[in-house]
Amino acid sequence: MAKNDLTTRNLMLDSLKQYAKNRISHEFIRQQDAKNEIPLDILKEMYDHDVLGVHLLLIPEEYGGLSGQTTEIYRVCEQLARIDLGIATGVFATFLGSDPINVGGTPEQKAKWFKKIAQENKLVAYGATEADAGSDLVSLRTRADRVEKDGKIVGYKITGSKMWISNGGVADIYTVLALAPGGPSWFIVEKGTPGFTQDAHEDKHGIRLSNTAGLAFDEVYVPAENLIGLEEGKGFLQAQAVFGYTRLMVAAFGLGGGEEAIETALHYAQQRVQAGGPLAQKQGFMLKLITPHYVRFEAARAYIDWVAKQLEINNHGLATEGAIAKLYATESGNKAAEDAIQAMGGFGYTKEFPVEKIKRDVKITCIYEGTSEVLEMTIFRGRWQEHLKSRGQYYIKQAEELEALHAQHPDVGADSAALGLRALARILEDCRMQKLTRHQYITFMLGDLISEAEIAAVFAKQCAAGIVTEGSRFDLGSLKTMSRVNARLSAFKIATEGMKLILGVGAAPAQELLQAVNLAAINEKMVGLIEDEDAVSAKLREIFKG
Amino acid sequence: MNIIVCIKQVPDTAQVQIDPKTGNLIRAGVPSILNPYDHYALEKALAIKSRTGAKITVLSMGPSQAVAVLRLALALGADEGVLLSDRAFAGSDTWATAYALATAVKKIGQYDLILCGQMAIDGDTAQTGPEMAYHLGISQLTFCESVDSDGQRLMAKKLMEGGHQIIEADLPILATMTMPANYQPKYPSFLAAHQAQDKPISIWTAADIGADLHKVGLEGSPTRVSRIFPPAGREKGEMISGSTEEMAAKFVEILKKESFIK
Amino acid sequence: MIQVSEKCVGCGKCVSTCPFGALSLVNKKAVPNASCTMCGACVSACPVKALSLPAAGAAKKDLSAYKGVWVFIEILDDGKTQKVRPVGFELLTKGRELADQLGQELCAVVIGQGIVKFLAEISSYGADKIYAVNGPAYREYNTAAYTHAMSTLIQKYNPAAVLFPSTFIGRDLAPRLAAELFAGLTADCTNLSVADGLVISTRPAFGGNILADIKCPDFRPQMATVRPNVFKKSVTRPGQMAKIISEPIGVPAEAGKVRILSKHFDEVTELEKLDEAEIVIAGGRGMKDAAGFAVLDELATELGGAVGASRAAIDMGLQPKEKQIGQSGVTIAAKLYIAAGISGAVQHTVGVEHSDVIIGINKDANAPIFNICKYGFVGDARTILPKVVDGIKKAKGK
Repeated sequence: MAKNDLTTRNLMLDSLKQYAKNRISHEFIRQQDAKNEIPLDILKEMYDHDVLGVHLLLIPEEYGGLSGQTTEIYRVCEQLARIDLGIATGVFATFLGSDPINVGGTPEQKAKWFKKIAQENKLVAYGATEADAGSDLVSLRTRADRVEKDGKIVGYKITGSKMWISNGGVADIYTVLALAPGGPSWFIVEKGTPGFTQDAHEDKHGIRLSNTAGLAFDEVYVPAENLIGLEEGKGFLQAQAVFGYTRLMVAAFGLGGGEEAIETALHYAQQRVQAGGPLAQKQGFMLKLITPHYVRFEAARAYIDWVAKQLEINNHGLATEGAIAKLYATESGNKAAEDAIQAMGGFGYTKEFPVEKIKRDVKITCIYEGTSEVLEMTIFRGRWQEHLKSRGQYYIKQAEELEALHAQHPDVGADSAALGLRALARILEDCRMQKLTRHQYITFMLGDLISEAEIAAVFAKQCAAGIVTEGSRFDLGSLKTMSRVNARLSAFKIATEGMKLILGVGAAPAQELLQAVNLAAINEKMVGLIEDEDAVSAKLREIFKG
Repeated sequence: MNIIVCIKQVPDTAQVQIDPKTGNLIRAGVPSILNPYDHYALEKALAIKSRTGAKITVLSMGPSQAVAVLRLALALGADEGVLLSDRAFAGSDTWATAYALATAVKKIGQYDLILCGQMAIDGDTAQTGPEMAYHLGISQLTFCESVDSDGQRLMAKKLMEGGHQIIEADLPILATMTMPANYQPKYPSFLAAHQAQDKPISIWTAADIGADLHKVGLEGSPTRVSRIFPPAGREKGEMISGSTEEMAAKFVEILKKESFIK
Repeated sequence: MIQVSEKCVGCGKCVSTCPFGALSLVNKKAVPNASCTMCGACVSACPVKALSLPAAGAAKKDLSAYKGVWVFIEILDDGKTQKVRPVGFELLTKGRELADQLGQELCAVVIGQGIVKFLAEISSYGADKIYAVNGPAYREYNTAAYTHAMSTLIQKYNPAAVLFPSTFIGRDLAPRLAAELFAGLTADCTNLSVADGLVISTRPAFGGNILADIKCPDFRPQMATVRPNVFKKSVTRPGQMAKIISEPIGVPAEAGKVRILSKHFDEVTELEKLDEAEIVIAGGRGMKDAAGFAVLDELATELGGAVGASRAAIDMGLQPKEKQIGQSGVTIAAKLYIAAGISGAVQHTVGVEHSDVIIGINKDANAPIFNICKYGFVGDARTILPKVVDGIKKAKGK
């Protein structure tokens, strides 16, 4: 019995919610944020097996853990983000930090270190980023020099420094990426090893409850068995192997943070009476500041869950899908948090209310675990290959699939999603023929548009399949309405942004391009958009009472 | 020692709100929880288990999704779960519900003590416990603030008007528990939730327990709802709004006018 | 389950009305599931009358032999005084009304020791007969002993209806008895009436803003429990003596299985006796936290009143359960009742509506509490009441 069924997942989430309700008050978080203090006691308590034991999710059962599947881990991440993104980051850092051991470690290494983490409730940190090597990790400079004895490698001396490491100042175990003679490699370094020091906790814009600190290595000696996998040079592969997975976790962070902010604003809007009625009853207020965010949250949720279920089967890969989820959900969460402040007006701007802090917190999700720009490029590169290999048919085929789906299920927006995919196919083809990908800016934007297209498609398909993603507060009918809204807006964005770029570099006649992306058809589908959005607003008012 | 704890899945009525315009219940998005009184009764049973090593079986009657509260009980430390689920039970009032539960208890077989919450927060009748005790032909003790047992007898602090009694009772007995003020229910660790999947839950139908179908559902319910209606409105009084200061001043004025202050 | 006719237009109103989530729309038609408890809430909500409860079972027994409205009289014995608990007189008063409408007798049942001294007073509240079970074995309430005594009396004399106080004793005795007799029992009724020769018990239903009439057409006796202060008492037959019927009933062996080792009575200050207070201030969800209730305590001190709470505030852990005002808590009939941050769901309002002056404060102008208020303030009780306290202090010259 390794898997956790839905009932067990819900039990875990309930326990987490109750724990936070009893032990982590809004007031406590506000004070910690103001003082820039880490709630280390809370983190340790969350690791306590008898209280929650949240870290056990990432440890295989054979070492005393819970063999958590992708689904429960992302759902716990979402819930943690709703409590506090700093605390969530502290927990996540342990997940991230132990990943290299999970994917690259020998059976003996896994047994030793996972048992230690599980039984002794150790905090872990992931030491990759450096001053000159953030997005561009290839430039890393920390090196690991071999220490030999009688012709055999008995250990390594690590010298260098790391920056902005989550849990940097509080972890017990660190996985550190360093350049060994054979290439970048992961090493396990324990706190207290001579020569290994941690810098002061950073003064950050947000996630102030997460300890962030630099690390300094001055000829820090580690025995050879601390080289993960016992083979030099596997570092990048080991790091990349879990990207699908870790990106999904941060996507859940963006979702959770954004939801918490907007829900706070919505509860406020249900009570705040101005000009004769509550703000939540006013169409302009809802359609500008609240409703569109929920549409994107549910699209993100459907997509994240879809990727999670695939990762559970495949257990690896899906790095591009993970990037799509992360890019979309974090950017959506960030914008949502911004609008949450606006929605609450003066109240949103004061520290007494949580939304300004959430806004500060959520921003990091667009930066760490791959900045949005890096991910846009990653997504572009991944899908560009598909476009080329299929001779431009990759998205056409998906569009055809959605057109067939629309015939069976005309109420999920599959028609608009298909139009968006066809427009995307045409835009990518223009880029190929005109060699436009030499403009780096265009590759960024293509990554964004690809995400929009794929997420709209998955959302529509999930709705057609009658799936109400676990954790969603909405019924199938409302989700279908949201999918229709999302598909229309995505198709419009793809067509217009794509056109703008291509025309911007003078690569095609305007009229011809206009027809080719079929903006006319996309616009025709817009009829009913506001009515659908109003229906979503009404549902929001019903579900999220004041 | 064998203990049976009767539990029920209920909507979290603290979160259920009323639509002020229609007067209807708003149930959308209201989570289902373990009835808090039953949650407390279970904790009492677990305390007895930790002292005596008793076996705890949790029993619930409800639709299939009620398995969630059985699983919660198992995660908290109960040993086995039984869900009584059958369309035949639909429409049961307390008599029929108590009969069905008692029949299930007879199938479970061995028990020294049955604990229940004094009432379910959605029904609020507090009748099912005593009616079960009757069907089983055992003693009952209602509105207990605390219970303890060494397997030989029950000791209880039972509430009475204006105070309480210390009771000693022979086993077997059914006791209903009242919640203490500021009761914070315990929740299981992740590990406990995970391990609960290994504990057995049986799902029984009316046929499985050999229930007399004339004694369950509508047929087994002596009471009938004859109509549902909104309360009669009073003539609406004077409504006052304004700034906080204005309203406070008006409030004091009214207290004077109605002679509640000089 | 509820029956759905062809008239259903798939509007979905029943789906949101159902307190149990037992209805859903499938292909634009309402479909009930196993969660249906046949409460009938959807029947009245349906705008096209497409829903109905299935007809009750066939056999209509001849129940005309069951006559008489009985009231179980509870004796209060707190170690200092022994008297009839006042709710018994309230039930006798209401019982007299029901008995008159049915054209039947009103009988009191008194079980205890040394009860002879109460019989005159019980008579004056309208009892035609009093069944007395008197003896040392009945001095303390015991489930087995009292159930056996009541069951014996009921099976011998066949009353049509039996009313119990909704006290710890009543709520222990009535259900046990109802199970044994296969009788219908309705708990915590807010009203009792007669229709078509049947006793109708009314109570709030399903935690919502609706009332339900419960009846028991096919089984006897019809049983109900009622909380103190729901009905008013009045001496309807001053100076008259009821016919006393003494029944010597033995106590069954089972009674010895439950033994009282000791009794303890709480010290209750005058201010804390909610059900007797003349001024009551209650806080609800809107008071939010302990600080909110501290303001209510201050207000109570200034006015000389008692503080209670709504169900929501109790569930939030802001006040102990003994302070709950409402259908499943204390019913009050105060001179002044102030509801602060309480929405006014019917299970709360039935507990307070007999008060003389009701003042409500709630941020929501549409909150149902305002339907029973003489004065309604639309605002935040947490900010208004501290200023009210100041205003009162000023008025008192402090």
